[in-house]
Amino acid sequence: MIWGSILGITFVVALIILYEWPKLKQGSKKEKATVVVLTGAGWLLAVLLVFFPEMPGPTDVIKAIFQPLGRYMEK
Amino acid sequence: MIEKSRISSFQMAIMMYPTILATAILLVPSITGKFAERDMWLSPILASSIGFLNVFLAVQLNKLYPKMTLIEYSEKIIGLIPGKILGFAYLFFYLQTNGIVFREYGEFVVGNFLSKTPMIVVIGSMALVCAFSVRGGAEVIARSAQIFVPLVVILLLFIFILLVPDLEPKNMFPIMDKGIMPSFMGSVVPASWFSEYTLIAFLLPFLHDRGKGLKWGFISVFTVMITMVVTNMSALFLFGSITDSFTYPVMSAARYIDVADFLQHLESIVMAIWVAGTFVKISVFYYALVLGTAQWLNMSDYRTLVLPLGFLLVIFSLWTAPNLIEMVHYLTTTWVFNALTMQVAIPILLLILGKIRRKRGTKVGSTRND
Amino acid sequence: MINLYFRKLTNILLCICLCFFMLLLTGCWDRTEINDLALVLGTGIDKTDDNKIQLSVQLSIPKAMGGTQQGTGGGGSGKPTIVKKATGSTIYDAMSRLQEKVSRKIFWGHNRVVIFGEALAKDGIRKDIDFFARHPEPRLRAYTFVSTGKAIDILEVIPELERSSAEIARELANFKIGMSVTVKDLLQMLNSGADSAALPWLEINPTEGLRVNGTAVFKKDKMKGSINDKLTRGLLWLRDDVHLATVTIEPKNTKGSISFNLLRSKTKLVPKIVDGKWQMIAKITTEDDAVENDTALNLMDPKIVKDLEKQLAQRINQRIRMTLNLVQKDMRIDVFGFGEAFHRKYPNEWEKVKGHWSEKFPEIEVKIDSKAHIRRPGMSTEPQGIPKNEVKK
Repeated sequence: MIWGSILGITFVVALIILYEWPKLKQGSKKEKATVVVLTGAGWLLAVLLVFFPEMPGPTDVIKAIFQPLGRYMEK
Repeated sequence: MIEKSRISSFQMAIMMYPTILATAILLVPSITGKFAERDMWLSPILASSIGFLNVFLAVQLNKLYPKMTLIEYSEKIIGLIPGKILGFAYLFFYLQTNGIVFREYGEFVVGNFLSKTPMIVVIGSMALVCAFSVRGGAEVIARSAQIFVPLVVILLLFIFILLVPDLEPKNMFPIMDKGIMPSFMGSVVPASWFSEYTLIAFLLPFLHDRGKGLKWGFISVFTVMITMVVTNMSALFLFGSITDSFTYPVMSAARYIDVADFLQHLESIVMAIWVAGTFVKISVFYYALVLGTAQWLNMSDYRTLVLPLGFLLVIFSLWTAPNLIEMVHYLTTTWVFNALTMQVAIPILLLILGKIRRKRGTKVGSTRND
Repeated sequence: MINLYFRKLTNILLCICLCFFMLLLTGCWDRTEINDLALVLGTGIDKTDDNKIQLSVQLSIPKAMGGTQQGTGGGGSGKPTIVKKATGSTIYDAMSRLQEKVSRKIFWGHNRVVIFGEALAKDGIRKDIDFFARHPEPRLRAYTFVSTGKAIDILEVIPELERSSAEIARELANFKIGMSVTVKDLLQMLNSGADSAALPWLEINPTEGLRVNGTAVFKKDKMKGSINDKLTRGLLWLRDDVHLATVTIEPKNTKGSISFNLLRSKTKLVPKIVDGKWQMIAKITTEDDAVENDTALNLMDPKIVKDLEKQLAQRINQRIRMTLNLVQKDMRIDVFGFGEAFHRKYPNEWEKVKGHWSEKFPEIEVKIDSKAHIRRPGMSTEPQGIPKNEVKK
């Protein structure tokens, strides 16, 4: 199942790149790099989440910052 | 300029209507009811002040830098490096918030209708549709909003009218028996929803009738407020003191409709409202995120970013909370302050600094080229 | 050249993808065909000896239902519904056991009636009502009842006029002759500060089938007693729930009685606190038409009608007094919504007595101020079937 998910993720990522590639070819190097980095980051995150679904997320970061204020809204 | 299409301020107003409302009529009545109880219809009125403030701030900032979005002028106002950092904070905020919106959509659909469907399918299909509309640009989103919003309003009205026989206005008394505090506390969460009006900072530069931006922005806030008051009232009149014990009071109310043993089982209407509204909401957030990212990276086109960021959004939506309970708790506590800081406090600071900068600029005599 | 080739490849891939997505659009995971569903029409909940729940559901048999609808013979063979039962520690637990015996998926979306057995009602219904508000299928509009004896017996009744006994119960509740309480109303009653509830009392009469006969009165979520049909009328008058009523009075100074059909009525509860004394003024106005007159009184005479109006109002007062004597003074359970009325008008004072409302409630002085208006004498003027000279003026 895990490998199935990873295969699925990779498939989607590959599709995204394939779909964008014709346009990117005309773009600058920087744009290519951006898209590749962003998609790669997405792929990495997704794969990490498949292996560690309980990984602390962005919510936890914001919770940590705003915790003292958030307590006022507890009820 | 990165966006070539132009929209009218009326279109902007109609885009923002579901952007606030789509999620606000489902989870928020229950949250408001928890704090404000019988006064929950007052809370949206108090909360809308934030919406008016935000529209005002965005329009004032836009007057200083007419052709720039929030990401661009924050660099101009506080300098390049701090501006980039702030821009990143905004992008992260919109990425995460949009992830939550996706999740709310998924939770609602899966929780009420398609209980066995994997959430990734529900969210993923929505993400794909939204990606196409964002690729089309602001005008495409605006036009789809123009089609969907009247539909949403008519269906909402339909539900309220059918509910009338079951409503008991006496449920709203006594008004403010514990003072203004409960309704004020109840207004905090809706206020954070209203603060999403900061998004118009990403739309204002592309208006072809920028002079009317403020007027239509205010009209939009006002209509959202009225709709929220009416939804809260109908939930309150129907359920009274048990309103806050439902996860989705409006949904439960629509399910309660039974006119002459004939018109019943109307939850599919709520679903239609919700899907159409959320589509616009997600598209607007998504658009702001994609556009902002492109500007942050000084790219010439934002379209290539749509799909990679959409993929990230889907991941964020699944990552953001383990379950509905955690998500609601997060939305009512920390997210409120996160949203208010990012969307109210920082724009106020930016406006003040921008004004100061502008004054100094004119003193020195340098003409600024926007 | 490569670029062109590339674009072609992506296009083909996209097409394959789109075809693939089309398969997803059918909603495969949650697809349910109507012929795979067993529709629940009514639910009965009873208590077993070992403190578990016995859930009984009335399922429709589509074949038989279709038969009765067509009206021609030969269609429906036997009963249009069946009743299945199972036990479990919660309703859903029992339902999953029930599912083992039913070949189709049990579907709650059309459940119209929830019946609590008497023994369970005396034990408390709070924990069993939650399912109906939490699970996404059941509706808050289902009517709730308490049955004499076991709820399953009610479901097993095979009716003559309607298709199922659940349908009868629902129609009876719809008429609002007795109390008519939906799941939502019940939740509201249990949630209100008065800590009480009232549910219609459903009974099987061996010769007549089902009937709503009085009201079960709950303290918190436990049934404490019941009041009969007559007293229920008084309760309905106070709760402003009277929709269909006939009032028959036997006028003074003459023989026989007159029946009135109630057109509309309005009850307003006005709470008052005067010098620390709690009062409740019930202002009732009704409009009635005469439908039967077997006295010798001429209903076209304004003086007689005035007099009758007074007697009618008195009659309503009596009914209410009887109910108040039992429910307010003896049972001490606030099913009239007095607590809520005080809460709305005197929030501060209410806050003080909220904790011991059941002690305060019997002390409340109730004043009944009822006005009856007789609007029309019906299709006849003078009493029918007696000589002119015997008509009383």
